[in-house]
Amino acid sequence: MSQTLTVRRGPALRLTLGLTILAALILTRIVSPPTGEAGMADAARDFVTLSISVVIESLPFVFLGIMLSIVVQTWLPEGYLLRRLPRNPVARRVVLSLLGMLLPVCECGNVPLARGLMARGLTVAESMTFLFAAPILNPVTIMTTYQAFGWDDGILVSRILGGFLIANLVGWIYSRHPRPESLLTPRFQDTCALGDHHGQPTGKMRRSAVLFTQETSAMLPALFVGAGIAGLIQVGVSREVLVAMGGNPVWSVLALMVLAFVIAICSNVDAFFILSFGGTFMPGAIVAFLVFGPMIDVKMLALLRTTFTAKTLLQVTLVIGLCSAALGLAVNFLV
Amino acid sequence: MNQWQGVLLSLVGIISTVWLGITGQLGLYIHPRYFVFTIIMAVIAAVLVVVAFAVVPRPSDEEAILDTGGRRGRWLWSAGSVLIIVAAVVTLLVLPPSTLTSATVKQRDLNGSASTLTQAEASGLIGGDYAAFTVRDWSSLLRQGAGEDFFADKTATVTGFVTPDKSDPENVFFVARFFVSCCAVDAQPIGIPVYYPGWQDEFKTDSWVTISSGFKMNPSAISDEQIVLVPDAITPTERPAEPYVY
Repeated sequence: MSQTLTVRRGPALRLTLGLTILAALILTRIVSPPTGEAGMADAARDFVTLSISVVIESLPFVFLGIMLSIVVQTWLPEGYLLRRLPRNPVARRVVLSLLGMLLPVCECGNVPLARGLMARGLTVAESMTFLFAAPILNPVTIMTTYQAFGWDDGILVSRILGGFLIANLVGWIYSRHPRPESLLTPRFQDTCALGDHHGQPTGKMRRSAVLFTQETSAMLPALFVGAGIAGLIQVGVSREVLVAMGGNPVWSVLALMVLAFVIAICSNVDAFFILSFGGTFMPGAIVAFLVFGPMIDVKMLALLRTTFTAKTLLQVTLVIGLCSAALGLAVNFLV
Repeated sequence: MNQWQGVLLSLVGIISTVWLGITGQLGLYIHPRYFVFTIIMAVIAAVLVVVAFAVVPRPSDEEAILDTGGRRGRWLWSAGSVLIIVAAVVTLLVLPPSTLTSATVKQRDLNGSASTLTQAEASGLIGGDYAAFTVRDWSSLLRQGAGEDFFADKTATVTGFVTPDKSDPENVFFVARFFVSCCAVDAQPIGIPVYYPGWQDEFKTDSWVTISSGFKMNPSAISDEQIVLVPDAITPTERPAEPYVY
């Protein structure tokens, strides 16, 4: 019976079902109250508003990343990107850490793109280098950081060099791992294996649609859960406490790293946000915010968890956190 | 269900985004500089969703079981998927869109350095068109300590929501707005203190008001604010189409 149903469920029926769901969701929005408080307490309303804000802000970048991932996996000739990379592993990672200059997608979109690159043969260490460097080493981020800070206090230079060095350090560390595949979730390992060997639908359009379905199913639940956690932390953690630490060379660095983790703001505009903290916080704290935030935050961890194991993410967070803190302290004491 | 979870969540996000854009409420969540990009990506994604419905085959039972780690895992995964989809539908499509409230003002640094103009920017305001000054302009000048003499002959006409002064909530409130640089997540509250004893009898916290008044030394003995607006009357108003300032 089940087999009979599967056979009968053709494209027309699926499309009809999909359009029916689309109509039902549109109707739900139309008949729901357009304004009002919905009888919720202020804190609950703000939790919802903040969570929705993260979703609406991130969603287009995630879609863009998924589309680029589809282009890399389906529409570019086999090995088109990988063939152009240097053979020397260090040089390869250096080049990959500059790939964001060509694909300025923002950190949320880099995750599906990195998944696509791994499915096409990039190693785990190489993909990490790309993932952590690209949000900082891309033209939009560099331009907005320059607009915000110019050459003041070495913030721009420290951000670019710091992002480059930390991303390559992480890549180098994990390039020494004896079993790099164990850094990936079993689910993503299966995805890569399927991509390599069998089960590929025929036709580029169909394969693109399947990849879109797969990647949205991996990314969006993580984005929605991450947005909920980010909203919850925003409502629960007072920012006044963090700001009170601004004048201390050590605590200011740690406080802005915590803020970067909590606020999960896009790297393309984080310089404008943190610019106004410049009067309160020391330059090293600003640098730590601008380097740590694009690599690790609550939303990014949720997205990265679709691909890497929890243990790997904990290690990466520690390495990047320590390096960012060291960089921030060095700027505070040396500049 | 698991195969279609991402497509369904995409649909929820796309419909919410486009509806907010059509009804002019996208600004409740993100900075206007992202409006065009966000809507364009939503429309492109909508096309991909429709194509996915038309051409993506249903996975076989064996593939679905492998994909989710066995039958028990498949059941748990499906339950989690349904929960996330329902939560997304409720928050994005059922609940009415809303601005941030005074609960967030309490959590963040009202008129902190993060929200007001820098000293140089605030200095540039002096001698400008005071009638066109916003809540952010006035609050920046107050924060930079422009002084009683400067404010003595100035009149501010501003619109914002009502949020109580922490140091003297009985007599002083702030007419406040949120300053946004990227999205509501980074919103920082800014406000101008208003001396108006018994304001709670006339206005609810978070209600919107328009005030036109001169500045005076704060008559309150316990408030931390030195210079305040002392209006004769306050006009209740609707929330503006753009509640945040940029």
